[in-house]
Amino acid sequence: MISTLISLVLVFVLQLLFYSWWWIILVPLVVGFMEKDSVSKAALGNGLGVFALWSGMSLYQWLNGGEIIVTRVAEVMGAGSGIVLVLATGLIGFLVAGIAGYAGFSLRKVVIKEYQVS
Amino acid sequence: MRLFKTILALVVLLVLFILLNNTQGSIPPLGKFMNPFAGFWTNGERLDQIEEVIDVKGLRDGVKVVWDERHVPHVFAENTYDVYFAQGFLTARHRLWQMEFQTHVAAGRVSEIIGSKAIEFDRKQRRRGLLFAAEETINHMDKNPETHLILQAYANGVNTWIESLTPATMPMEYKLLNYEPEVWSTLKTALLLKFMAWDLTGRNSEMDLSIIRAELGEEFVNRYYPEDTPRMDPIIPSGKPWRFDPMIPEESPPPFEPQFVRDLRADEPDKDNGSNNWAVSGKKTASGFAILANDPHLGLKLPSIWYEIQLVTPDMNVYGVSLPGAPAVVIGFNENISWGLTNAASDVMDWFEIEFKDDSYTEYMYMGEWIKSDMRVEEIIVNGGETVLDTFAITRFGPTVRFGHYTLDNGHPTGLAMRWSAHDPSNEMDAIRGINVAHDQESFFKALEAFDAPGQNFAFAGKDGDIAIRHNGKYPLRGKDQGKFVRAGRDTTGEWREWIPDDQLPAISNPWRGFISSANQSPVAKNYPYYMGWEYDDYERGSRINDRLAALNDIRFNDMQQLHMDNFNKQAQLMLPFLIDHINRDSLSIVELKILDDLNQWNYVSDPQEKAAWVYKQWWLQLELAIWQDELTIFDEIRELPTRSVTAELLLKNKNLIFFDDMNTSQKEDRKQIIRKAFHTTIADLTEKLGDYGEAWELGRARGTDIHHLLSVNGLGRPGLYTGGGQGIVNATKKTHGPSWRMIVEMGDHPLAKGIYPGGQSGNPGSFYYDNAIDNWVKGHYYDIHFLSTPEITSESKLRLTNLRNYQ
Repeated sequence: MISTLISLVLVFVLQLLFYSWWWIILVPLVVGFMEKDSVSKAALGNGLGVFALWSGMSLYQWLNGGEIIVTRVAEVMGAGSGIVLVLATGLIGFLVAGIAGYAGFSLRKVVIKEYQVS
Repeated sequence: MRLFKTILALVVLLVLFILLNNTQGSIPPLGKFMNPFAGFWTNGERLDQIEEVIDVKGLRDGVKVVWDERHVPHVFAENTYDVYFAQGFLTARHRLWQMEFQTHVAAGRVSEIIGSKAIEFDRKQRRRGLLFAAEETINHMDKNPETHLILQAYANGVNTWIESLTPATMPMEYKLLNYEPEVWSTLKTALLLKFMAWDLTGRNSEMDLSIIRAELGEEFVNRYYPEDTPRMDPIIPSGKPWRFDPMIPEESPPPFEPQFVRDLRADEPDKDNGSNNWAVSGKKTASGFAILANDPHLGLKLPSIWYEIQLVTPDMNVYGVSLPGAPAVVIGFNENISWGLTNAASDVMDWFEIEFKDDSYTEYMYMGEWIKSDMRVEEIIVNGGETVLDTFAITRFGPTVRFGHYTLDNGHPTGLAMRWSAHDPSNEMDAIRGINVAHDQESFFKALEAFDAPGQNFAFAGKDGDIAIRHNGKYPLRGKDQGKFVRAGRDTTGEWREWIPDDQLPAISNPWRGFISSANQSPVAKNYPYYMGWEYDDYERGSRINDRLAALNDIRFNDMQQLHMDNFNKQAQLMLPFLIDHINRDSLSIVELKILDDLNQWNYVSDPQEKAAWVYKQWWLQLELAIWQDELTIFDEIRELPTRSVTAELLLKNKNLIFFDDMNTSQKEDRKQIIRKAFHTTIADLTEKLGDYGEAWELGRARGTDIHHLLSVNGLGRPGLYTGGGQGIVNATKKTHGPSWRMIVEMGDHPLAKGIYPGGQSGNPGSFYYDNAIDNWVKGHYYDIHFLSTPEITSESKLRLTNLRNYQ
């Protein structure tokens, strides 16, 4: 799915440069808005893209010198293990980006429809 | 419909954004916190990496930093400014969150971070006046150009580090609590120093003692809360003559019964804040060089209270531990001298009952007239709430920490004002800097003159063979027992006007016995002409140290390490056989018999595997309660109990005493009965808490040591450490408290030193160096200290070099 790839790459680059977490709202909102075909592509596509990025990136951090911090935070959050934290991170990304993708898609429908009417 | 769905989706998105971007109760802002690009995920061990070159804006010349295998920085600078700049920069790199959070605590600004639940704490902290004391201190310190330079250099270094931070490298606790560091200032350093002074001198029992005297009479207080406790082995041996004409204090003020204190109890720092230090002369050591040892006992937390560092300039080479947030080395050594601190425990805080004209508190009675108070308004900013204003009066007796609870018969409201020596301007930074560059006993003691608060016993050992100790600080000239009870702040009686002169303070140099030591006990014997307070620690620790030092000869490092870790319980040695004699074996259950036998066979060494050590401790506590709880529960609270040694003496000498009887029973209890009853209660209590008599009763398990994170967050601390030692024992390790730095230095041509503290150099919970020393600390191991003379390192050494490059 092209939207998956686009949102994954865009969020990755923007977060590397500017860190803020809310890129996972902004980017899927725009990517969803650009999506013409189907709502599932907009929602699921963005959701999966960010899920892959966030779980992948957190896994990368964990394996690259993150063992101690992950073990400690897992205990702080009552998460049990690092895997749970990786999945939780991915799921937050999926949920937020999915809804943002959906919102972007719906917004387009509303805006385009109103444009056509007028 | 489409429009509705769209709006709904956008609203849900907005709500998600708000939820995930903000703290929810105790849950961190999950969007930020879990962000794998800048959340906790980026606080891993990569932050431990050592760079070869760092460009640093604001240095005057280049600075070389050698890192050893424990990540202790050895800083080589070309001038004074740069060395403290680098200290600030490097300390912030490892400890920024801790140093800033502690100053928020000191200043009463915790509500700014965690919200309304800290308002009461902040209010109390403001009224104690740490903030205004710090403000005055900075004004005073800034008058000294060198101190000003050092403080400012350090602050600049911290700020340069803060500017270099990114959202990814921000310390993890900022992410957890969702806030950011502010600009570091010299005021923050002053706050930290005042906070230490509070921690070490903020405790006294005046309110309790006033209440006890009012209820149980003057004789009770005099007899059971004496200035000279049984078996005391003072810091300065009793044989020392005092060859000066003492100043004569005014006569002690007449007894005064405060109206206000009845329903109050002081919130005070830990009673167990104490320490050991000692030095032995070359006559007693194998090498012929003097050896100094120190272990300050403080609350044990992570990140650790100390930061280890070496600071080198052309005119200084000093090594030791510093307080994160303050420049220079607090405890340590240089090429010529070594020094260690213990808390003096002399009284530098008095409470006064103030009579106000009305509840505006703007005027108070003094010498028969209404005097204007200095009103101070504190603004407590609350995260997620409205700012709270707190107004309180400052009188000539200090800030009114408590007020609004009690009105006198004449209708005037009262308040309690706190007179505290740390409220007076002083320049301890100048003293510490002077110590760091001191080269002999004379220059060391000269530097100490600027060190007013907190009062400390400074032990000294020099390369030239001198050893010495001084009970140092700014102590008011007092009449006997002045400051033991709350005073009437209505006239000059009880006011502080004069101070014990520096050259008349308790001190001794090169005593004939070949060693000096202190363990928070009374500084002097009765022949010393001044009264300095009464709340010193009992004899046990100090006396044990002196016994050992007197017995040891040909002393090596190993002997000093063993003495640091000495678990001999002198109090148990005195009391346990006596207590056991009172137990009637016939009346015991099988388990009780087994426990009694174990107690009988115990050698009084409180090692972690000793079950008897914990049983004895609990038995003693039960006994204390059995004797005192009924008498000393006054206004629904147990008040200050007499010290262990006083209670022990009573038990040893009296078969029958009115206090042995439990007033709440119809029976008339005597010594034998309360000893037995306490034994049974102890066993029953411990069985209930720990299960059947077994492994769980071992000292290291039943008590052990928990080192929590400063925020007490689970997962960031190291609970359940298998430790021995305890109260009244040289190895004063307790549940959350203990030796915060163990240091031994031999003052040869090139000082040799060993040291360890329970934690690690890094404050980052994601770092290997966060708690890497803890297991070794538990075992009583030490690290060899690298006291470097040059920043040159060879390729095979474990040392690593970073160049801090001056970058404009």
